[in-house]
Amino acid sequence: MRNIRIGTHHAVAIAITVLFLLPLFWAAGTSLRTVGAPPPNTVTWWPRDAQWGNYGFIFELVPMARYLRNSLLVVALAVPITLLTASLAGFAMSQLSNKAQRRLLIFSVLLLMIPGASVWLFRFQILSWLGLLDTIWALVAPAFAASSPLFVLLYYWNFRRVPQETFEAARLDGASAVMSWRRIALPLARGTTIGVVILTFVLYWSDFVSPVLYIFDTAWYTLPVGLQILKQFDATNWPLLMAGAVIMTVPVIVLFIVLQRFFLSDFSVANLFDRG
Amino acid sequence: MHSRLSYKAQLRIFLLPYVVGSLILVIIPALATVGVAFTEYNAIQPPQWAGLANFVKLFNSPLARISLRSTVIFLLVAIPLRMTGALLLALLLQSRRRFFTFHRAAVYLPTIIPEVAYAIIWLWIFNPLYGPLNWFLGLFGVNDIAWLTDPATAQAAIIFMSLFTIGEGFIVMLVGLQNIPLAYYESAEVDGATNWQAFWRITFPLILPWILLLSFRDLIIAMQGTFTPAFVMTYGGPNYATTYAPLLIYELAFDFFDFGMAAAALIVIYLVLVMLIAGVLNIVSGWGDNA
Repeated sequence: MRNIRIGTHHAVAIAITVLFLLPLFWAAGTSLRTVGAPPPNTVTWWPRDAQWGNYGFIFELVPMARYLRNSLLVVALAVPITLLTASLAGFAMSQLSNKAQRRLLIFSVLLLMIPGASVWLFRFQILSWLGLLDTIWALVAPAFAASSPLFVLLYYWNFRRVPQETFEAARLDGASAVMSWRRIALPLARGTTIGVVILTFVLYWSDFVSPVLYIFDTAWYTLPVGLQILKQFDATNWPLLMAGAVIMTVPVIVLFIVLQRFFLSDFSVANLFDRG
Repeated sequence: MHSRLSYKAQLRIFLLPYVVGSLILVIIPALATVGVAFTEYNAIQPPQWAGLANFVKLFNSPLARISLRSTVIFLLVAIPLRMTGALLLALLLQSRRRFFTFHRAAVYLPTIIPEVAYAIIWLWIFNPLYGPLNWFLGLFGVNDIAWLTDPATAQAAIIFMSLFTIGEGFIVMLVGLQNIPLAYYESAEVDGATNWQAFWRITFPLILPWILLLSFRDLIIAMQGTFTPAFVMTYGGPNYATTYAPLLIYELAFDFFDFGMAAAALIVIYLVLVMLIAGVLNIVSGWGDNA
């Protein structure tokens, strides 16, 4: 009886996993089909003559290499800047008086409740006044404000669990706030940092809205816009469209697999979200 | 390093990028949007006071009415389903048995797939002629469904694909479940409670605050999340059935340069969200009275 229940549990879990991974598997299989061949009327799971050349072909069809370079540049700037601004703000928040902490907490929660669409109109104006439209900084700008209040809060919750005497002692020894942040706080927040790296990477790598709103010069187009251009180019060329989708998705999956051990294992989930 | 600034002053400087950056990039733009809703503004000439004219225009516009209705239907159907899905998956996959870390990762994965890539993959899945979904349904004798080319099924399709991107809710529910002391279940078992009773008497009441908090955040996230699928897959069609609020606002502002009306649409949507939240809170506090 107990064995049957455990067996059923495993079977249901496997079915769920298959269901959630199926779209990706279909995309990968379709991306390797022969371009121009009539689509089969049954589902091919994996084409027998896999056309790996499809991946090279989309680089010739649209300036994929440039989109890729721009996307990588955005991520390479935005992730470290976000780590810096979010961890500094989270650290400062955890060290201030209770009253200041509460104020900043309310500020952050209010920020979380502002829908993205409500800043489109005037962020466009502000970027325009600052002369940042059509530059990479239009895409990276939110990183200077920690990208998301959530990241500041994750660091704040993490640092608040560190016994305050640790920082107090360092301070009495003459350590500056910068030193406490770098030598004591950051090494204690590795789990949070990994979580923030994944989430920030995904945020900027996937960002479709900002380039659509703030970038008009094709020289600064990023991959998400590139994929949309590929789609407008030939909306029914499924193998090539899927190849584009796979190219965009693979880096995220690789990063996720490399870091998920820290991210989703039983303990780090608690580390990330436990307000302790 | 010898610092001349006091410790507290240094902390304030640490906060500066976050606070000032958020003011410039989020709070000031959001407040300016509220202001501009009461003006005539095309982003080139200075705004002209217009009172409630934009709101009147909005309610007289058939497109805006369809958009508002689609958005509310989407939220009323998608959010309960997303929350239920996240909770069920968390209950099923919270186990410490072997391979379950992998299953949890699989459920989280669709949430971080880039939106445009995800939209294009689903465009293929929903393809009425060659797509895998209609092939699969065909096995059960369900005839070809038009999906994205029919207003009713297009709405259903967008809701359906949103049910796979529930990773954030899933993780928060997992943490919520972990926070329930095991002792509660042990004493329920001693009292001879069934699993079903234990769920409704222990798990559900204790996880409810998490569900509520999540649904409020999900109202904002799920609504914002309609932009890319609607833009890439249907561009609001067919017959404007998937012109959800963010796409409507985008079109009003950046296709028609009517910033005033776009801002008014935003305020109306936000008021609708507040009303939905108040409604949910009202229902839930009613449960408390009956218990």
